[in-house]
Amino acid sequence: MNSVGHKRSGQLFSTFASISRNRMVERKLLFLTGVYTLIGMLVLFLAMPGSTGLIALEAGLAAVAGFFLVHIYWHFTGFRGDCLLLPLTAVLTATGLVFLFRLNPAYGMRQSIWLLVALVALLLTTRLLKDFRFLDDYKYIYALVGLIALVLPIFFGKEEGGAKSWLDFGLFQFQPSEFVKILVVLFLASFLDENKEALAAGTRSVGWLNIPSPQEWVPLVAMWGVSLLLLVFQRDLGTALIYFGTFLAMVYVATSRIFYAVFGMGLFLTGASASYFLFDHVRTRVETWINPWPLIDTTGYQIIQSIFAIGSGGVTGTGLGQGFPTLIPAVHTDFIFAAICEEMGLAGGVSIILLFMIFVYRGMKVALKTKDDFASLAAAGLTAILGLQAFIILAGVTKMLPLTGVTLPYMSYGGSSLVANFILLGLLLNISHEAGSRL
Amino acid sequence: MKQNILKLGYLLLGLLSVLVIYLSYMQMFRGPALADNPYNHRFQEYEAQVRRGTIYDTKGVALARSDYSQNKSKRVYPAGQNTAQVVGYINELYGRSGLESAYDRNLLGMEGADRFRNLINKLLGREQLGGDVTLTLDSALQRLAMDMLGGRRGAVVLLDPRTGAVRVMASSPSYDPNRLEDIWPQLLQDTQKPLINRATQGAYPPGSTFKIVTAAAALATDPSLAQKNFECPGYLVVDGYKLNDTAVHGEVDLTRAMAVSCNTTFAQLGVTAGADGFQRTVKAFGLLQEPPVGIPARAGTMAAAGSLIPTELASSAIGQGKILVSPLQMALSAAAIANKGIIMQPYLVDTVKDSLGTTVESQVARTWLTATTPEIALKIKEGMVSAVKNGTAQAAAVSGMQVAGKTGSAQNPQGQSHAWFIGFAPSDQPRLAVAVILENAGSGGTVAAPVAGSLLAAAVAAGY
Repeated sequence: MNSVGHKRSGQLFSTFASISRNRMVERKLLFLTGVYTLIGMLVLFLAMPGSTGLIALEAGLAAVAGFFLVHIYWHFTGFRGDCLLLPLTAVLTATGLVFLFRLNPAYGMRQSIWLLVALVALLLTTRLLKDFRFLDDYKYIYALVGLIALVLPIFFGKEEGGAKSWLDFGLFQFQPSEFVKILVVLFLASFLDENKEALAAGTRSVGWLNIPSPQEWVPLVAMWGVSLLLLVFQRDLGTALIYFGTFLAMVYVATSRIFYAVFGMGLFLTGASASYFLFDHVRTRVETWINPWPLIDTTGYQIIQSIFAIGSGGVTGTGLGQGFPTLIPAVHTDFIFAAICEEMGLAGGVSIILLFMIFVYRGMKVALKTKDDFASLAAAGLTAILGLQAFIILAGVTKMLPLTGVTLPYMSYGGSSLVANFILLGLLLNISHEAGSRL
Repeated sequence: MKQNILKLGYLLLGLLSVLVIYLSYMQMFRGPALADNPYNHRFQEYEAQVRRGTIYDTKGVALARSDYSQNKSKRVYPAGQNTAQVVGYINELYGRSGLESAYDRNLLGMEGADRFRNLINKLLGREQLGGDVTLTLDSALQRLAMDMLGGRRGAVVLLDPRTGAVRVMASSPSYDPNRLEDIWPQLLQDTQKPLINRATQGAYPPGSTFKIVTAAAALATDPSLAQKNFECPGYLVVDGYKLNDTAVHGEVDLTRAMAVSCNTTFAQLGVTAGADGFQRTVKAFGLLQEPPVGIPARAGTMAAAGSLIPTELASSAIGQGKILVSPLQMALSAAAIANKGIIMQPYLVDTVKDSLGTTVESQVARTWLTATTPEIALKIKEGMVSAVKNGTAQAAAVSGMQVAGKTGSAQNPQGQSHAWFIGFAPSDQPRLAVAVILENAGSGGTVAAPVAGSLLAAAVAAGY
């Protein structure tokens, strides 16, 4: 009796001790992030006339408080998710928010409201979907819901920036493809977990090649079809590329067969070159990428303004509020990185890329630490889709690759993108919670 | 599977690393060109916030300044057309040119400590200030040169052979940079091309002024030529082609041949130097590269090494053939002879100051090229002194000072010959080197030499 009581109190004590030290790294990093955010907002407050500066400062405080509240909630519920991911996201989001206020305070205000929504979404994800394993059971529902969500904008959608991927709800617009990307990863993780042996080995042979039976590969080809659907009907090149890239990555991870990746890339290149000849908007994009200068008054204007901004930044940048990034059309969505490169210079630009690299590193680490294949595939897929999206838009605005309009995760203006990526973060953290990784 | 995840992670990190390298390339190496691109409106935007600095001549006379009235700035060029091509202009509609463009960042306070100061100024709502630029040009001499050109097509360059400081860089016909809005369409259509800075961007056959280079080439090949005599029957036969001279000069030595500008002798000297030797010397005088003077300048051109056959060599030796150079380049060649074979790097900007008046950039005299040896330079100088004393360049003489010079009357497809004069003074301690060209104006000795003489006299009187 006595010994049992002693044991229990010892256990209690150790639990208490671990809670008080729980998520120490996260707290310290969030504190630094908070200082960083408030300095940024303070500069805006000093430079901006009237009440907008004050609103920026308040929005900064609200954002910092929001991140801390999430942290405190996790702290007291004993959440064991990765301790670097939230501070990383916080730096990226805060930088985005500061720049949105600097570029256009109206967008900044809307975005800070979206950020609070996104933080609630994150909290709910880590609470309701904490035992994410049940998600494994609904793969065909994801496929169906995702497909419907993607098809809707084709009929009811609103065209914006050349891509028809928006649903208009009056008060706000909704971009289904941002949320569907999570469903895509979950569907693939679940499907590949179930069929990976068959896909890897192949059940029938055609000549020297072992191929799996139709049940196994048809859904995958359907995935390829969905990507092309996006490409053709929504004119959303970037999202198509991200979905398909993630798809190939996950198939490769599950089956270890590089053949699928090569074959898939071949399929995509075939589709892409066909669409180059079939569709004007694809051709225009490629031509604008190869040489935008003769098109400076039309389709090349935006990308040239973007590289002007990047080039004018130099190594240290002009300083926050000292450049002229508003010369770039749509700078607050796809081109926010160009604004950062102008005002924060190469130093700022490289820092942002490094933050995404650390995010990818931590995400992959979560994937490596899991105990089973579904979780592993899901974590790898979520990380890959985020990394790819960041890479594609960053490469686009710097003119390294043809420009395809997607948002820069956590930084671009846009509620759908922000909320979806915070849910993605939540799922990644749940997986890492289960694996018991802290720091 | 974990192995595959690791590979996928490396792939993503690799892609992002490539992006880091590419971004560094874009911002560090492509950046300056992108920032200065005329389609990039950042300078115009920035200008609206900043009190742009002033450009002064060497005596402190403003050549470009900003006048403010009712919070609106207007860029004023007090020297007007006299300095139009060198100082350049900034204009919202027509872009920017000349030194105004080259020193934009300093004039707008975007460099060094000014950048930080202006950030503070902006935050505190104070006026942002730019720095000032002081040139080596003397606006009084510049005006005299422009007056003597008198609207005719031509150019004048006057510089200090000891330092490379440019005192006069005149190009005519010119235009009034204060009235760009009214005259722009005519300027673009004008067949006389007033926007071109003829002094640095003109491409002219140098005619007989080139003989100083030919002499340097020949003497480098065979120093004994300095003591030799040449026979001029009034023509020369090269490879079966007969080249006629302007006169029968009889028996002449090198000095006399230079003084009377004997084509027969110099064509022969060119052939003696040989294609390689000739081209080596042309290169040594910096005639095949852009003079690094800080504003756009043209590199000289000549027949390719392979096609320098004896007939082309003979005509190149007297500054005809395929040789094309700018007045600045010929002034620098004269400066080489004046400065014992050394060409100093030419420069237009003496000092650059930041908005507080602290000097942030100051030009020091530095050697650009070693064109020839002191002995050869001395020998050629004898010929140039003789040309002014009792040869073709007598009209360049200045009382009380010995001038050395060489005339040229360059044949060209456009009509009458181009009148050339290059030279320096005083011949024993040269402080001034000059090049004058007047397009299609006739003989160098009668048209260009007097312009150079008057300018040298005025420069000496002004204390240079």
